[in-house]
Amino acid sequence: MTQSTQNRTTGRLMVVPALMVVAVFSLYPAMDSFLLSLYSKFPGPERSFVGLGNYLELFHDPVAHQAFVVTLGFVLLSTTLELLLGTGIALVIHERFKGRGWVRAAVLIPWAIPTVVASQMWRFLLNDQYGAVNAILFGDQVDAYVPWLADPWMAFGAIVLADVWKTSSFAGLLILAGLQVIPDETYDAARIDGATAWQRFWHITLPLLKPALLTALLFRTIDAFRVFDLVFVMTQGGPGDATQVLQFYGYKTLFTEGRVGYGTTISVTVFVAIAILSLFYVRTVGTKLMQREPA
Amino acid sequence: MKPFALSRFDLSRCYVNGFHVSFCITASSPLRRPSPWAAGLFAAAFLYNVPLTHGQELPADHHGSPPVTLHFVTWKADHPRAWDEAIQRFEQAHPHVRVKREIAPHSSTAYHDLLTQKLKNRDVSLDLFLMDVIWPAEFAAAGWALPLDAYFPRNEREKFLPATIASGMYRHQIYGVPSRIDSGMLYYRKDLLEKYGLSPPSTWNELVRQAETILEGERIAQPLLRGYSGQFKQYEGLVCDMLEFVGSHNGSFLTADGRRSNLTAPESLLAVRFVREQIIQRLATPAALTYQESESLAVFIQGKAVFHRNWPYAWGLANDPRHSKIVGNVGVTTLPRFSEGKSTSALGGWLYGINAYSQHPDAAWAFIEFMASPALQKYFAIHASLAPSRLALYADPEVLHANPQYKELFPVFQTAQPRPRTPVYPIVSHILQRYFSRVLAFPETDIIEEAREADRKINQFLSLIEDAKK
Repeated sequence: MTQSTQNRTTGRLMVVPALMVVAVFSLYPAMDSFLLSLYSKFPGPERSFVGLGNYLELFHDPVAHQAFVVTLGFVLLSTTLELLLGTGIALVIHERFKGRGWVRAAVLIPWAIPTVVASQMWRFLLNDQYGAVNAILFGDQVDAYVPWLADPWMAFGAIVLADVWKTSSFAGLLILAGLQVIPDETYDAARIDGATAWQRFWHITLPLLKPALLTALLFRTIDAFRVFDLVFVMTQGGPGDATQVLQFYGYKTLFTEGRVGYGTTISVTVFVAIAILSLFYVRTVGTKLMQREPA
Repeated sequence: MKPFALSRFDLSRCYVNGFHVSFCITASSPLRRPSPWAAGLFAAAFLYNVPLTHGQELPADHHGSPPVTLHFVTWKADHPRAWDEAIQRFEQAHPHVRVKREIAPHSSTAYHDLLTQKLKNRDVSLDLFLMDVIWPAEFAAAGWALPLDAYFPRNEREKFLPATIASGMYRHQIYGVPSRIDSGMLYYRKDLLEKYGLSPPSTWNELVRQAETILEGERIAQPLLRGYSGQFKQYEGLVCDMLEFVGSHNGSFLTADGRRSNLTAPESLLAVRFVREQIIQRLATPAALTYQESESLAVFIQGKAVFHRNWPYAWGLANDPRHSKIVGNVGVTTLPRFSEGKSTSALGGWLYGINAYSQHPDAAWAFIEFMASPALQKYFAIHASLAPSRLALYADPEVLHANPQYKELFPVFQTAQPRPRTPVYPIVSHILQRYFSRVLAFPETDIIEEAREADRKINQFLSLIEDAKK
C-alpha cells in the first residue's frame, strides 16, 4: 500500500519536468495569445479590452473569408495530391532493386531543403524572363513564355505544385513505414490463391496501409493549414490576394500593420481550427484504427 | 558653437595617434564638448525622457574613454560599396565611434517588419535606423522614434527639400533627417523615340500612342519589345505607381483634410480603369503584375521596354555597361499626366531616425549629421545616383555633371506627392494594395464595387485614429 503510494508520488514527481516544459513552451504562449486576442491594440502605448470583438470582426471580414477559402483549397488540393504521389513513391522504394538505398535518399532531398530556399527556387523556375520552366516548355520561342505567378489561378497552382513537390516524399516516407509492417506471408498466400497484382494491392496493401495513410493525412493537413513561407516568398499573397492564406494574412496584420490583437485573433483561430481537425482525426479515425489493428 | 555644425568632417588625420584623437574629440566634434551644448542636450534628454548613460555618452576628454558602438539597422543597399565607404569615412572622422550594421532585407515592408519588431520590444541595443517616408507618423505615434527638434533646428531644415522635411514631421515635431529624395520618373528609350521622330510624351494617352507606334514599327526586329514597364505587384510599390496615375488625373487617395478615403471619386476610378485597360492589358506584359522595381528595371535595361517608371537610382544602373544594354540611349523626364490633370510623382526616400530607447542618442546624431552632410550626399549622388535631399547640391557642378537629369527633374523633387500621412499607414497601404491588385489582376472585377469596399475599410481605420485623438 505505502509502497504503491510512494511509487505514485515518485512517478508524479518525475513527470513534473516534462509538464513544466509543456506549460512554459506550449500552454503559456497559447493562453497568452488568447488573452492578447481579446484586446484591440495598435502601434502605440494604449490598448483596450474588446472581449470577443476581434472574433466578431474576423467573422465579418471579407479578406479573412477569402483567405480562409484559399487556405482550405490549398489544404484539400495539396494533401490529396501528396497522398497519391506519396503512395506511389512508397510503393516504388519499397520494391527491392539495385541502388534502392540511393533512390530512397534521393527521394527525400526535396523534403530536406528548407522551405524558404525551395520557395525561392520555384520563384526562379517560374520566372517569366529566365525561368527554367518556360525554357523547357517553350525553348527558343521566347514570346510564348508565360508569367506563371501573374495569373491568379496559376499562381495558386504554383503554390500547390511547390508544396506537393516538397512534401510528397515525406508522405511517402510515412506510408513506406506502413508498407514495411505488412507481412510478406499475406502476399505469398494471395499469390497461391491466384490473386493478380492489382487484386493484391486493392485487397491487401491498401486496407493494411490505412493506418499509415491516415497518419500521413493527419500530418499533411495540419502542415498545409499552416502554410506561410511558400506564399511569403513566391507571391506575397498576390496577385489580388489570390494566394493569400490565413497565416500570411495574420502575419501581415500582426507584423506589418501592428494590429497585435487582431493578428493574434487570426492565429488563435487557425490554432483552434487545427486542434478541432486533429481531435476529429484522433476520435473518429483513431478509434477505427484501434479496432482494425487486431484484425 | 551652434549645435548643428556640419563643417568639420575632414578629420581623416584624427585616428593617426592618441594625441590627434583627443584633439579631435575636444576641438572638432561639437557633440563631445562639455559646453552649453551638452547642457542643451541634457535638457532635451529630460524633456524626452531619454535614458542617457553619461560615461558612455559624453566620454571625458582623455585617453581610454570607452568607445561607443552604434547599432545601425539598415537594408541591403542597391549600392553596397558606396555605403561601406561612407561609413568608413564616418569612423575615420569619429575614431571613438564604431558603427555596427545589421543588414535587413531590401524590401521596404520586410525591413519595416523586422525593425518595428525590435522597436516594439524596446530594444535598447538598437540606435539608428532608416525610415521610409511613410513611417514617421507611425513611429512617432508609437513613441519609437526620438524627436529630433533639439538637434535639427528650423534653420537647418530649410536647407532641405521641403517635401522631404514634411515627410519627417508628425504633429509639429521632426523625427527624421532626409537622407535623399526619391520620386517617380519616366525613363524612356531616347534612340527609339528619335527613330520615330517622337519627343517624350507629356500625357498618358500620348505615351500609349507613341509606344504603339514604336511597337508596330519594331515588331519584326524586336518581337519582345514592350511599351511600358512599371511596378504592379501586390506590394508597397504598387501604391506609389497608382498614386501617380490617380494624382495626374486630379484624383487622390484621401480627401484634402486626410480624414476620409476618396477612391470612389470619378477622377480616381477613371485613372484606375486606364491602368487596367491601357497599361496592363495593352502596353505592359501581364508579368508586370509580379514586378517590383528590380524586375521591371531588368526588363528596361535589357532593351525590352520603351518606357519605364522608376526612382532616381535607376539612372546609374541603366547607364552602367556591366548591367545595361541601353547605355547612352536612356532618357528621363517627368511622368506624363492626363490631359485634364498635372504630372504627379510619388514621394519616396529614406530618413535617418534614432531609436527613442537608444543609449547613445548624441553619438547617433553625430552619425546622422555626418551622413546627411552636403559632402556625403554629394558622394552618394555621384557614386550611387541617390538624389540629394539638400537644395544646395542641385547647383553643384559635379553633382550635375554626374546626373545631368537633375536639372530637368528638380521641379519634380520639389512637388513630389506624399502618400497618406497617418499612423495607420501600413493598414491603409494593405487595403490600397489589395484594391489595386484585384482590379488589375482580375479584369472582370467591378472597379466601383472594389473602390467602395476599400473606401469603407480605410474610413473605418481613419476614424479609429480620429477617435483616439479625442
